[in-house]
Amino acid sequence: MDNQLKRGLLDVCVLAAIKSEDSYGYKIIKDVKPYVELSESTLYTILKRLEAANMLIVHTAVHEGRLRKYYRITEEGLARLEEFRREWQEVLSIYQFVTKGESVNDKA
Amino acid sequence: MTKLDFIMALYDKLSDMPHSEVEERVNFYREMIEDRMEEGLSEEEAVAAVGSVDEVVAQIKGESASERLNKDKIAEPKNDKTNASKIALLALASPIWIPLLIAGGAILISLFAAVFSIIVSCFAVFGSFVGVSLYGVVFGIVWMLSGKAIAGLALLGMGIFLAGLSIFAFFGSKALTDLTVRLIKRLAAWLMRRIGRKEEA
Repeated sequence: MDNQLKRGLLDVCVLAAIKSEDSYGYKIIKDVKPYVELSESTLYTILKRLEAANMLIVHTAVHEGRLRKYYRITEEGLARLEEFRREWQEVLSIYQFVTKGESVNDKA
Repeated sequence: MTKLDFIMALYDKLSDMPHSEVEERVNFYREMIEDRMEEGLSEEEAVAAVGSVDEVVAQIKGESASERLNKDKIAEPKNDKTNASKIALLALASPIWIPLLIAGGAILISLFAAVFSIIVSCFAVFGSFVGVSLYGVVFGIVWMLSGKAIAGLALLGMGIFLAGLSIFAFFGSKALTDLTVRLIKRLAAWLMRRIGRKEEA
């Protein structure tokens, strides 16, 4: 997949992973893995960027005798997801227009 | 590799980065390793899954470098610098423009004083006309009644005449005041526009 495209998508993937409940680093990677590869390093940068944009907040909790950071989505984060959904509705209809009448295997 | 070895190696290879940044990132990776171990991986497997030390170091350095680049772009300290140098120049040149400004202000004030005193004297003329005409009317009648008929009549006539003049004087003064006020307003508006344009430039 195009790198630029992937970068933009990863942000919303992370947000989606924490949408319904607070999550932590490794769990986010696991949740996103079926859809797109996410390395620890990349996740770190994305989390930092989303936090700076006020789209998520971080809090630390004790888990099994050690500290673990949990990430929670904010109103702005939810708004970004909604924006993504709307944008890609458009993309979807354009896709349907572009591939109208073709089947996936057509090379015409 | 054990978790401890991994972490020590990270700290070692990232020693040229600020310590707080390194600590934050190393903690992040430590958490990842511990989470994998909780899932059932052995320590060795968990450390291996996170990546080799060199890989992780390269990723960290790469990500932090681009982060810092973006931060600098957003900060944009240039505007602060140009304002500071503007203020410095103003301060340096102040011995020149402060006296000029004071002189200009003094000229403006004396202009206003002059115009004001003209208006005041117009009203003073009006006032004196009223005063003298009253005197003339009153004493004209008195004189006429006390026998000095012709003188009294003359005085009365002069009093009435002056009363008429004072009406003219009043409207004249009022017109002059209105004219002055309008001129001042236009001058102020013109000045504001000049200052506004200078600020835009």
